[in-house]
Amino acid sequence: MSEVLNSISAAVIQGQKDDIANLTHDALGKELSARDILYKGLMPGMDYVGEKFKIGDMFVPEVMRSARTMANSMEILKPLLSETGVEMVGRVLLGTVKGDLHDIGKNLVAMMCEGAGFEVKDLGINVEPEAFVEAIKEFEPHIVGMSALLTTTMRSMGDTLKAFEEAGLRNRVKVMIGGAPVTNSFAEKIGADGYAPDAAAASDVAKKFMEPG
Amino acid sequence: MRTNYRINSGVRFKMLSQDQLQELFDGVLHVLEKIGLDVHHDEARDILKKAGAWVEGNRVRIPPYLVKRSLEMAPRSFTIYARDGNPEHNIHIGPGRAHFGPGPTPPNFTDVETLERRPYIKDDARIVATVVDALPNIDFCESLGTVSDVHPDLSASYEFAEMFPHTSKPIVAWSFGWDDSNDIHQIAVAEAGGQEAFEKRPNYVHYCEPLSPLVSTFEAIDKLIFAARYRIPLIFTPCPLAGGTAPVTAAGIIIQAAAESWMGLVLAQAIQPGLPFFMGGVLSVMDMSAMILSYGAPELSLMMAGATELAHYAGIPLWQTGGCTDSKILDEQAAIEGSLSCFFSALTGGDLCHDVGYTESGITGSILQTVMMDEAIGYSRRITRGIEVNQDTLATDVIHSVGPDGDYLNEEHTKKHSKTEFWYPNLCDRHNFEEWEEAGQKPMRDRVVERTKGILSSHKPSPIKPETEKAIKAIMEAAEKRVQNKP
Repeated sequence: MSEVLNSISAAVIQGQKDDIANLTHDALGKELSARDILYKGLMPGMDYVGEKFKIGDMFVPEVMRSARTMANSMEILKPLLSETGVEMVGRVLLGTVKGDLHDIGKNLVAMMCEGAGFEVKDLGINVEPEAFVEAIKEFEPHIVGMSALLTTTMRSMGDTLKAFEEAGLRNRVKVMIGGAPVTNSFAEKIGADGYAPDAAAASDVAKKFMEPG
Repeated sequence: MRTNYRINSGVRFKMLSQDQLQELFDGVLHVLEKIGLDVHHDEARDILKKAGAWVEGNRVRIPPYLVKRSLEMAPRSFTIYARDGNPEHNIHIGPGRAHFGPGPTPPNFTDVETLERRPYIKDDARIVATVVDALPNIDFCESLGTVSDVHPDLSASYEFAEMFPHTSKPIVAWSFGWDDSNDIHQIAVAEAGGQEAFEKRPNYVHYCEPLSPLVSTFEAIDKLIFAARYRIPLIFTPCPLAGGTAPVTAAGIIIQAAAESWMGLVLAQAIQPGLPFFMGGVLSVMDMSAMILSYGAPELSLMMAGATELAHYAGIPLWQTGGCTDSKILDEQAAIEGSLSCFFSALTGGDLCHDVGYTESGITGSILQTVMMDEAIGYSRRITRGIEVNQDTLATDVIHSVGPDGDYLNEEHTKKHSKTEFWYPNLCDRHNFEEWEEAGQKPMRDRVVERTKGILSSHKPSPIKPETEKAIKAIMEAAEKRVQNKP
């Protein structure tokens, strides 16, 4: 059995995004549970990729491909996981705030969070506070991540947080923010729960949010 | 009498062939014609449509003839004037002329006293302008930061109001939108003596930044329209990341950046035919490990050189980039990255080279880096000035008169040329060990800080007119009123 799981890990590491569906079906055919495929096949592969990325042995395009590979497998596993009541690591809602059209940093955060086993919903760019609020109600994320590149649009982050409060949702989510001009002290000032200087740090912050206590 | 004698009066750098440049040029036309850009500005789309562009929703495509006509309308050579009429501070844009200056908008600044990184404040704009005014190899001024200690909507207005009295070198002005662009323009016009006088002798340049890939944002376009209406020389400069928001290849990112910039060119020329226009683009790599836009990468210099050659091939000046670094402090990395990009930029003759003084990949502005780069630019300029060859410089007469076993120290020829043939450093130390030891064994960074503080304590920029002082006061009071009820 471990051979099958190993080949799934290897497929994630090598980014075999077109082969992973077959491998996933094979594994399910061999009576492996969706939970095992996720936690003993996909995640160890992604963990390895994350480590290699941190020490500079793998680069963003390769990590992207690995994350895509994992996502292709997750498409098959997700319905099975929810049937059996297995939870993902957590749900993350992402968006670039109102007035800002920059999205590459946020896309990297989405990739890193997916790789860390989170279910990610990306609202895209120029996201109105109301759109964040609606998405929180619908998607019920554990974490909301907001991004901005401009000093002008950074202010929308505070407005968005206020909208969460007004909708009575502030305590239902942890909020992390990021983007080139964003700092830890700005995060504290507007009352966000966390700040990440880059995408890898963002997934670490997200993981910390999910730790009990 | 010589015939058919050819002179190379400076170091000539050329990378791409005419065929390659034509291919890049055709690539830009292709992107603009077949793919187009999303232009998030109703009025701009109307203007472009009337000029001959194809508009579908937000998407604007431009036929090649219109691009070529717009390039034809924009001048290759023109002058940006010093506000005080000092001819040494004028900037003549034209072939073979590279100019240098800082960059806009980092959130942080390296404090000149404590050397620590902290948020950029209003007084930093004064510091930057004063030092820029004094540095012999820095030609134009930008602020190196976004003013954080005023109402956020007014940070660009205060930035300009602080810089303008403290340097008579032309400023490249950054702004958020129409209102603060107007504050800035009113200040410049007050000093010029009215709009008409300004149009004859423009004393600043306006800067707008569209988004990659292929998006003209409302703010960038609104600012462009402002500049075009008031005949302010214009920079339209995207900041694509190779491998992130643009193709990973140098040729690909150059084409995309040019298309993004030339959308602005076509719009500007449609509004104001003949408006001086700088093609832009900070072109560099997205570091695939650190996930940043690298300001110290060799590819930045290489891509900028390609962009410069394309702009000049198309007949317009370029907004170059150099003197910047990914280093967090004034150290060896900052010196290597900054100096090499300054030298390479000088070789290309890119017309206005900005970001001299960017550290931490554009997150922290450092006037200390600018001061260190002033030395690197001086050094570079000595090399690009080249070797003069004529009867006098060949010096065969002098060699004859000194002969074997003599020396040249007492020769009139030596005295006559040693000031101009040799470049003398301001910061690089050439003393012997004992002298260096006696002077305090100062490393480069100490000498940079010392020179910066020295300028700040002694340099007196030429003042603005008393009526401009009054105008600035009134303009800023009105600006404060405009935002008093905004959070």
